[in-house]
Amino acid sequence: MLRIATQKCCDQLPSRFLPFLSTKSGAAVATRRHQSTDDKVEVFVNDKPVYVKPGSTVLQACEIAGIQIPRFCYHDRLSVAGNCRMCLVEIEKSPKPQASCAMPVMKGMRIKPDSDVSKKAREGVMEFLLANHPLDCPICDQGGECDLQDQSMMFGSDRSRFLEHKRAVEDKNIGPLIKTIMTRCIQCTRCVRFADEVAGVSDLGTTGRGNDMQIGTYVEKMFKSEMSGNVIDICPVGALTSKPYAFTARPWETRKTETVDVMDAVGSNIVVSTRAGDVLRIIPRLHEDINEEWISDKTRFAYDGLKRQRLTQPMLRNKQGQLVTCLWEDALPFVAEKLSTTEGSKVAGIVGGFADAESLICLKDLLNHVDSEGLCTEELFITDGAGTDLRSNYLLNTTIAGVEEADLVLLIGTNPRFEAPLFNARLRKSWIHNELEVALVGSKVDLTYSYEHLGDSTTTLKQIADGTHPFSKRLKDAKNPMVVVGSEVFSREDAFGVHAAVSAIAQNATVTSQTNRGDGGADWKVLNILHKVASQVAALDLGYKPGVDHIRKNPPSLLFILGADGGAVTREDLPKDCCVVYIGSHGDVSAPFADVILPGAAYTEKPGTYVNTEGRAQQTQAAVSPPGSAREDWKIIRALSEISGMTLPYDDLEGVRSRMSEVSPNLTRYDAVESANYFKQAAELAKLAKPQLVSKPLQSSQLSLADFYMTDSISRASKTMAKCVKAANEGLTPDL
Amino acid sequence: MGSFLKLLHRQFVVPWQEVVKTIRHNGASDGGYFPVLRGFFVQWARFNEPKHGKLVGTDELGNKYYENNRYFVARNRWVDYNKETWNQMWDYNASQVTPEWHRWLHYMTDDPPTKVPPTSRPFLIKHKRNLTGTKDCYVPYSTTRPKIESWKP
Amino acid sequence: MSTAGRISQVMKGVPMKPVMSANPVEARRRVLTLYKQWYRATPKIIEKFQLPYTVEKVHNRIREEFMKNSHVRDVRAIDLLVIKGQMDLQETIKMWKQPCHIKSYFHQETAVEVPTDFLGKFFTQKH
Repeated sequence: MLRIATQKCCDQLPSRFLPFLSTKSGAAVATRRHQSTDDKVEVFVNDKPVYVKPGSTVLQACEIAGIQIPRFCYHDRLSVAGNCRMCLVEIEKSPKPQASCAMPVMKGMRIKPDSDVSKKAREGVMEFLLANHPLDCPICDQGGECDLQDQSMMFGSDRSRFLEHKRAVEDKNIGPLIKTIMTRCIQCTRCVRFADEVAGVSDLGTTGRGNDMQIGTYVEKMFKSEMSGNVIDICPVGALTSKPYAFTARPWETRKTETVDVMDAVGSNIVVSTRAGDVLRIIPRLHEDINEEWISDKTRFAYDGLKRQRLTQPMLRNKQGQLVTCLWEDALPFVAEKLSTTEGSKVAGIVGGFADAESLICLKDLLNHVDSEGLCTEELFITDGAGTDLRSNYLLNTTIAGVEEADLVLLIGTNPRFEAPLFNARLRKSWIHNELEVALVGSKVDLTYSYEHLGDSTTTLKQIADGTHPFSKRLKDAKNPMVVVGSEVFSREDAFGVHAAVSAIAQNATVTSQTNRGDGGADWKVLNILHKVASQVAALDLGYKPGVDHIRKNPPSLLFILGADGGAVTREDLPKDCCVVYIGSHGDVSAPFADVILPGAAYTEKPGTYVNTEGRAQQTQAAVSPPGSAREDWKIIRALSEISGMTLPYDDLEGVRSRMSEVSPNLTRYDAVESANYFKQAAELAKLAKPQLVSKPLQSSQLSLADFYMTDSISRASKTMAKCVKAANEGLTPDL
Repeated sequence: MGSFLKLLHRQFVVPWQEVVKTIRHNGASDGGYFPVLRGFFVQWARFNEPKHGKLVGTDELGNKYYENNRYFVARNRWVDYNKETWNQMWDYNASQVTPEWHRWLHYMTDDPPTKVPPTSRPFLIKHKRNLTGTKDCYVPYSTTRPKIESWKP
Repeated sequence: MSTAGRISQVMKGVPMKPVMSANPVEARRRVLTLYKQWYRATPKIIEKFQLPYTVEKVHNRIREEFMKNSHVRDVRAIDLLVIKGQMDLQETIKMWKQPCHIKSYFHQETAVEVPTDFLGKFFTQKH
């Protein structure tokens, strides 16, 4: 299914990605780059005149004429290889059929994709491909979504003329995520090009020539990339398939739910395949402005964490201090009684990274109703200066797609490769095709592309802000600069100081870049905050306090923890008599010290609103129902409010969402980026508070690939992710 | 009483001596009151035909097997279930017959296991009646693991 | 008001062709006759259908069914209801109906009530 989608989208490919190619103007391209209609070349496809940009390929010209050329090696987000020969077409006055994916159009060219010669060429190529391809479609995991299977139905012969033995290739072990059946490989080299170009890890390559050509890692080692799972999708045959999904289901048996990922703050669009209430796999869904057609390995493979360590029954702590399962009818009145007898100022709530906006608004309304202001997010942010009052202060303002227009990026205290792999993929794409320059202040890490490391001290930051650092000169000359701050710097004690320095850098760069571009105040935003968790932006939009300082200062007697498993608050931070109510899906860090556990739904089990780091509201859909007696989180809070006699004035999803839009209208404008532009004011406000910087180096907590896999309650419960960590740390063993 | 005995006689068309033998034969063995009379009526109610015959043998469960070739074939061999069944009154069934006696009772052979004992094998287990419908019956259960593993505190 | 009643109002003054009864008194008599027939057939019905109900309970249920239409005043409508009742009785006595059809009259008390309020739904359903 995905492949069909990607092929459809290929005509929307931005021309900057493959500079020598040109396409018909897709919506995404047309808005950014003006295309003139005069300099077009006339070619004839099946004697029908078609106007294409010079430099287009024959394959693209045919696509514009509405004719799909069969292909294996050609992929519109990768470079052209031209080695599968499936796209051969007849071109008039050319002695032999030409590979259309690599053949540029010429004026007056007459292309005959439906001629007998073209058909015969395809049939011949198909016969050669099938000569060495095993006949194991019935046991192949790609069956039903295999390009070779589909195209052999059209161009394959009904019998074989080859009596020789088929070639057999040894399978390679390239890690716990990707299963290889190398005999099926047709050497299209899509995976090699993906690893080189998109993932930026030159782990895969070809060895041997001709019939002996093999794809592999040469020595047995893991395909060490945070985006390695995408080779499963781009492989046109069943050579690279998903190891956790192996022999699980056929594509036509599964029910597909289009939803959104919450494992990081990027909000990748995904499709969740389910069968009989069981999540079987997660594959990417096309979204040009967020994830294109890739997703990270955590997004793709952490789904087995949704089936382990789940909270399925409400629990209450008994007199012996043990958590025992109970009914909703017991648990809710217990909490309600606490809630109505506790003083408002003694009630508090902490929300974690997986909380949807619906439950956030319910919890806020309920706690505000008892006059509590102790609503905190687990993730930290600044509270001084403009704090979270100005939305532009905490968004990735340039947007993810905007990276493609940037010419200079300054990363501060972040490792985007592991905090937001898809954002890093954009940076890399821009680094390859647009000569993007990247500089980093923070831990020296492998970002898969070269960058200038400016050290990790805060002095550097100060110098850049003052203009005394050599890098300031380049920032000054940049036309479209970006400053990206990782959310991790806000856990420092001088978070405000860093933010103020960054704001100053960004504000200076905004002014200079306007003059450099010469457009005087065009809508280019420099300051960007890269968040790590999916719920943070929505929580800040709704007015949650960032960080748990408030709770440390005012010890609560009743604490609601809404899926906060980052360990920001432990039992030791709370008074002895404090009643902790945990609402969430997994028994991870916080559930063991809770007094009441109210089981909630995970992101595949509820329709919920999440706002990604660029401020784009998206909604998840329920692919399966919550396990056991678990309920959607907002319903738990709504039911609690009714039992404690403070009924919230909404009882369905529409009601909650209209309440959400009362507080923050952008939360219900799905898939729209609500831009914010108050940098100047924020920078002025920051100056008033006199921020300080300490000399502690700016560091990132995720330094190597092993740190990437297990970061939250779902991925910590996932066996696949545990295997990945083991493989990344200790190398491959046969059981991985 | 006289008319009742007349009826018995008419029903079975047997000599009086047979009736007397039958009544004697079927005395209850549980040592309660009026064993002869009680046993006779129970036997009659169970078989619908009080019989008497030669005790051929007793199996390991205590069931007694009789034969009387005076009756027609198919009625000449029968089983009197053990004392436990006697307490169960009507809750007896054919699966209580052990396999080695089953073959004799069903005319697969004329040699009762008392005459030709079955070969003993180390793997043979003790015969058990069909427990369907009793509280000890087998209840099937799922052996598949649950799709979702719950958290254990 | 039933459709028949509405029609009779519209056609006030126009003499209507009677179905069976010429006047309300006669109609009432027919209803009572039908009621008695049902009443007397009750033990037989219970026996034939092996119903797990007492005679009194079935009587009450029959009475309920009759009282459901107690508001009907239109003679023609009453007559039609009587005809339907007779058909029903015949179908019952001749065993053209099956036990489940008779039992369905008594099933209201065992029907599970689906909660419609938020809390009720929250406690019983996942969605």
